Amino acid sequence: MPDALTDVLVAPPCPAEPAAWAAAREAARALLTTPAAAGTRPEDGRFRVTEHDIRTAMDDGSAAANEVGGVFAWTARTARRPLGLAAVRALVAGAAATPVEAVRSRVAESSRLVHGGSHRASPLDGWLAGLSPAGRAAVGAEAVTWCTRLWTGVDWDALGTHLVIGRDHWWDSPQSALLALRGRAEVRTDRAHLVLLFGPRRASVRAELGLVLLVEALRTRDDAVPARVVGWWPDSGHLARVEAEPAVLTLAAEAVTRVLAHGARVPGGTEVQPAA
Amino acid sequence: MVLVAPPVAQRQGGGDAAERVLRVVDGRAPAGGVLELLRADGLARVPSWGGLAGGLRAWLEDAAYSAVRARGEKSPPLVLGARQLLGPAAVVYEAARSAGRRDGAGAPEPEPPRDDVVLARLVRALFRQIVTVGTLDDPLHDACDALRVDGAGSAAMLQRIESLTPAARHALRETLGRHASRLLDLVPRPQPDWRPRTAERVAIPLAGGRVVLHGVFDLLVDVPEGAGRARGALALSTDDAWGRTRRSLHYLALLETLRSGAPPFRLAQVDSSSGRFGAEDVREEHLRVMTAHACAWLAGASWGTAVGSA
Repeated sequence: MPDALTDVLVAPPCPAEPAAWAAAREAARALLTTPAAAGTRPEDGRFRVTEHDIRTAMDDGSAAANEVGGVFAWTARTARRPLGLAAVRALVAGAAATPVEAVRSRVAESSRLVHGGSHRASPLDGWLAGLSPAGRAAVGAEAVTWCTRLWTGVDWDALGTHLVIGRDHWWDSPQSALLALRGRAEVRTDRAHLVLLFGPRRASVRAELGLVLLVEALRTRDDAVPARVVGWWPDSGHLARVEAEPAVLTLAAEAVTRVLAHGARVPGGTEVQPAA
Repeated sequence: MVLVAPPVAQRQGGGDAAERVLRVVDGRAPAGGVLELLRADGLARVPSWGGLAGGLRAWLEDAAYSAVRARGEKSPPLVLGARQLLGPAAVVYEAARSAGRRDGAGAPEPEPPRDDVVLARLVRALFRQIVTVGTLDDPLHDACDALRVDGAGSAAMLQRIESLTPAARHALRETLGRHASRLLDLVPRPQPDWRPRTAERVAIPLAGGRVVLHGVFDLLVDVPEGAGRARGALALSTDDAWGRTRRSLHYLALLETLRSGAPPFRLAQVDSSSGRFGAEDVREEHLRVMTAHACAWLAGASWGTAVGSA
């Protein structure tokens, strides 16, 4: 499993034809900056379109797809990704030797930040610090499992040194401050964006991964073609690979307009459903 | 309608057969507890699994596509865990009925969790704490705190516990304390470089996701072994269901084979009600038997008849 995933992440790029790519990007930009898209019911508030919104909008009706959603709350499940990513960063940097130690260190940091009154303390830190030791242990156990799967699923030495771990990229519409798109990836390299996927295999996956490409394409100030996006289900070992092709940009842009048409309003601009 | 366990399951049944091939220990634990059994030291050789995963998957895919054809392309996915595949006929029947419903339509109101289910959940929470931090304070308090961070997923469980009478709560505390004490004796905290992880889910989609085989490892470790690592798995039972737990482990070993190309080299199990524990090396025969069982289940008339008549 690690070999297959790493092989896809380091495979040579399959560059799109530059003119076709540029045309698709401009078409996507035009689609997303039309008054219809940019000004969709501005009185409703800010639109932040994420891969979760696309999954919901393209719901194929399966029971599993209906499980996601609801008001956000910190739980062991919602905390595992940010804690796990921090732990993977520590492991890659050599600051921790094992996932257990990396997660323990991150959880301990939360207590230090909160009890020390640091302005760097996040809402997650506040929630963690307020838990009992047993509650923190349960959250830590969940994060250790999440972190270990990512840490052992990839041959990190093969990825090179230019790694970005756990940073979401955003594209803010130049036409409207109300519209923003989020591209989520757990690991970014020069050649690939790795996205961890959970839940069932679904028809919307290509569009979900396409959103990452779309955000990269819209953010770039030159004609550079983004790296491929690789989706990986740790539960099954399956991979979904999306190359930077014009058709993917079109698919993703159309999926975003579909979300906007459905009205994916996020009350108060807060995130409803972070990645698990 | 007649529900009949597939022939493979009938041949496999019985705790005596399980004990003949398992290294079972009653009573005293070795110095390193049950985890000592997951060391690769005693392993004569790590078998080569090359090609086996592909063959088993092809076998299962054939059965899964047949099942999808029989149920109809538009039917919701058939999601099968060890409880459904290896359980008694009533559970199999209910799995088939549930799979025939869409979005829970027509499903009965959820019932409060049974006492044995509550106990199993609490013991598992303590097990995770022991593996992660190595210590417990007040077992009932700790386990409930662990459930609270689960959010809505454990709300019914907590509600059930909070609604107990003082006497019932005291009895639960006593029982849980006994389980916790045995776990503390038998399961020391694994060394961090074993990469221990708890409650690791594995889910294998077949027939384009219309059939999903899934399960959860209570504990997986990657034990350093020479230049590489040997993956071991441990299952926890709380009701002395030794044979059933062993078969669940074989099922999980099959899923791991399909996921990563090789099964864990060794499977251990520990029962917190009796203190019994043991381990066995995974053999190709285990995987083949479990695959045959899953295929027989998928191809059998039991669920097909049930869905058709539900």
